[in-house]
Amino acid sequence: MDDHDEQPDVASAAPAEKKAATTRTSAVRIVAARPTKKPAGRASAPRTTAAKAAAVKSASARNDSVKAESADAENKAKEAKAAAAKRAAAKAAAARAAKAAAAREAKEKAQAEREEQEAQAAREKRAAQALAEAEAAALVAQESDEAPEEPIFRPSAPAATSEPEPEPAPAPSAEPEPAANPDPEPEPEPASSPEPEPEPEPEPDAAAAAEAVVVDVHAPAASDAIVVRGLVKDFGDQRAVNAIDLTVPAGSFYGIVGPNGAGKTTTLSVLAGLLRADAGEVEICGIDQAKNPLGAKRVMGVLPDRLRTFDRLTGRQLLHYYGLLRGLSADVIEKRSADLMRAFDLAGSVGRVVSDYSAGMTKKIMLAGAMIHSPRVLVLDEPFESVDPVSSAVILDILRAYVDHGGTVILSSHGMDLVERVCSRVAIIVGGEVLAEGTVDEVRAGQTLESRFVELSGGASEVEGLEWLHAFSD
Amino acid sequence: MLGALRGDRVVRTIAGFVVLAAVTVAVCVALLSLADAPLPVARTVIVLGGAAAVLGFLVGPILTGTADQLDPRRFRVFGVDVRAMPWILALGALVSVPSIALAAVAVCFVITLVALGTPPIFAILAAVFGVLSLAIAARIGMAVSSLLLPERRSRELTALFVLAVIVVAFPAAVFFASLEWDGLVPDAVASLASVIASTPFGAVPGFALAVAAGDAAGAWLSGVVALVTVIALGAFWAWLVARLLTHTDRPTTTRERSGLGWFGLLPSNAFGAIAARSLVYWSRDRRYLVNVVIVPIAGVLTVFPLLVAGVPLYIAALVPVPVMALFFGWLPHNDAAYDSTALWIHVASGVRGAADRFGRLVPIALVALPVLAIAIPVSLALVESWYLLMPMIGLAASLFLGGLGVSSILSVTSPYAVSRPGDSPFQQPQRSASRAGYAPAIGFIATLVLSAPTIWLFVMTILEDDAYNPATFWVGLATGVVVIAAGAMIGGRVWDRGGERLMEFVETA
Repeated sequence: MDDHDEQPDVASAAPAEKKAATTRTSAVRIVAARPTKKPAGRASAPRTTAAKAAAVKSASARNDSVKAESADAENKAKEAKAAAAKRAAAKAAAARAAKAAAAREAKEKAQAEREEQEAQAAREKRAAQALAEAEAAALVAQESDEAPEEPIFRPSAPAATSEPEPEPAPAPSAEPEPAANPDPEPEPEPASSPEPEPEPEPEPDAAAAAEAVVVDVHAPAASDAIVVRGLVKDFGDQRAVNAIDLTVPAGSFYGIVGPNGAGKTTTLSVLAGLLRADAGEVEICGIDQAKNPLGAKRVMGVLPDRLRTFDRLTGRQLLHYYGLLRGLSADVIEKRSADLMRAFDLAGSVGRVVSDYSAGMTKKIMLAGAMIHSPRVLVLDEPFESVDPVSSAVILDILRAYVDHGGTVILSSHGMDLVERVCSRVAIIVGGEVLAEGTVDEVRAGQTLESRFVELSGGASEVEGLEWLHAFSD
Repeated sequence: MLGALRGDRVVRTIAGFVVLAAVTVAVCVALLSLADAPLPVARTVIVLGGAAAVLGFLVGPILTGTADQLDPRRFRVFGVDVRAMPWILALGALVSVPSIALAAVAVCFVITLVALGTPPIFAILAAVFGVLSLAIAARIGMAVSSLLLPERRSRELTALFVLAVIVVAFPAAVFFASLEWDGLVPDAVASLASVIASTPFGAVPGFALAVAAGDAAGAWLSGVVALVTVIALGAFWAWLVARLLTHTDRPTTTRERSGLGWFGLLPSNAFGAIAARSLVYWSRDRRYLVNVVIVPIAGVLTVFPLLVAGVPLYIAALVPVPVMALFFGWLPHNDAAYDSTALWIHVASGVRGAADRFGRLVPIALVALPVLAIAIPVSLALVESWYLLMPMIGLAASLFLGGLGVSSILSVTSPYAVSRPGDSPFQQPQRSASRAGYAPAIGFIATLVLSAPTIWLFVMTILEDDAYNPATFWVGLATGVVVIAAGAMIGGRVWDRGGERLMEFVETA
């Protein structure tokens, strides 16, 4: 997959960190505290333990909503302890740093990275009292378990009011784990999350409408468009996908995000029937892929990334080809391809050979080809890569309308804000495993999806050993 | 007529005139030269020639797709009486360049007939009947063409027609040209001519020459057939005109389907789609073109080493055709790999393996059939052994169709890396993992083994006698058909089960 999205952030954040470590880190802390300030304000007591209490509240709230962080839970816990210790020492600097934080409000990504970096730095100077504090926090956490979920919905509360208790902020991601569940809970989530999902947004009527449209598809028994259980795929001795569980409810707009080489494309290829899984089950609209691969393929439209198409055909011939392979009649293809060409703004290029198309146009015509047989499920790998903003807005409109009428879209993307904007559900896949899965609000847990993603994939803390780059040779 | 000289196609039109004039002169000279020939020879040649002319006038307009200047529908707006229209148009059609050429030939026809001993009155009668039936046949051809075929002929359809003409006409031409006439008509040809003389195609000249030969029964038979033919043609023409004037085109076929190339021509299903796509690739992708060009060259080149080695020309000249058939059958043994990663479309669409297998064989069949249709008669004419025609067809069918069957299996079971689309066909593909490619060799050997019975029978036909002749033909044909059917089915089954495996191959290769 593409690595353009993450890298620049890391690169720009790293040097900044080195220069002004102390003031900045404290500033970051304050900014990061924003989510928690309201609970703290409600407590309205400038106690010495107020900070800790607030931290724990927000932490536990998040803990309730997001269950998938378990993979790095232990690590985080350590970091958190250390960070908390440092914070106590740095309280005095807080007020000063708040101003800087306010100025920086816009850049939430950078903050997220710094937050982690700071935590790691702090880990080195781990103090003995950190343990004690953490224990205290745990106690408080138990008391405040019933903390409401407001923090999640207030990611951008004004920073100005956060002066009193700025410190606890970084803790949320860290402290809850030791408190609520000393032993990280990797297994429970995948098992438990699939079940509750269907309920939140079942669209039986929409699905029924779609059924009327899609003629030759028999009605799926379940309301889940895609169910994946224990999917494993090895390439040689490398495990690309490691026991992934996914459940995509019918009528949802499902996003898969993950760093490069996380196994997104592999997962989607297996879903599309282009690769054979080494283990696990895949069910598309209630059709078991292993038992009835053709039936499963029939209800899916596929847009792969990085695969060729028959680009010596003209655009019109290519759509015709897609349609005929899907068993449509020539008349239907004629009409639909004209509609699709118009919708995707390709009407002027129908007679040109596809190899003369730009990358974005090729993407668009392949997407059109994926839709021509009005599938129940669209499997799109990086559908917006190299597509211009106008076109991607058009495509989004088409896809939204498709989802509104009961269609299901599962896509992978690097565009976090895009996924955050359009998707109803998100899964974050790192190293072939699902680290977080749920509605967008659940997954981002009060942060932006991007910061959450960076946090989970743990990529931003690794940039070390590049000091020579900042010394400039001449 | 002169209006045809206006516009921007003057050169082409004039060239057409020149060719037509040359052909007319040649035919006239040939006809006149027959005046001195023995009657049986003249009878045979004129009857066959007349039949060919009728066929040409009937089918020519359909093949070339010429726009009819005298299309009845053009005159509909002038309010001409529907009953009078056919005859007015038929008469008008006589005033055209081809009709003038026809008149010239008819005059020569009359002269020759008289010289051969036909009474002038019958000769003129026959010429008039002949010209009338030919003119009406051309009208009918045009009307049928405009009724059944799309207004604008696609290049692909024209190419198909040309291929059909090559496959049918070329062997026939080579066959007739190579026959030893020597003033004597071979028995087979003579009996053929007498049969044709009693059909509508050859009835008119048949009548005239039967009269010349004093064959009363033959004259009556041919004469009645000729009369009925002209009347039937006229009636059919009248009916066609009435229909053209009172019926509109089928609206479904006039729907815009242009710009699809082969897709518009082939059946609208997965097989047709894959065949059309393969045809487009064969014509636009250099990798395929190189393969195809090499085959005939390789076939011919094999002759020289054999000749140098002292093999008699008789044997050496028979080698290229089987070699070409073998190579043509072997060509698609890696066709799935040529798709590169675009293969995903087939896999994701759940295309049936059989449709995929058969569809991919269409282009090679379209290329190989005309080449073999030319190569077989030429090769046999060289060695003057027409009795080998059937065995040779059987052998070629066995090697070609059998090779296609073997290739259909190999291309899904053991694909190997090829240069990517757009790369040079001669470029060695660079791949991370190299696999030993036994597939090409297996393809050759398996085809030869499967064709072994046919090869043995063919050799026996040459060495022993004609007794093996029909057996070679039928065994070869049966082998080819069975192997290609079985190969496509097995390959299709493998495809149905292992589409994902193929995807893994093309993604890593």
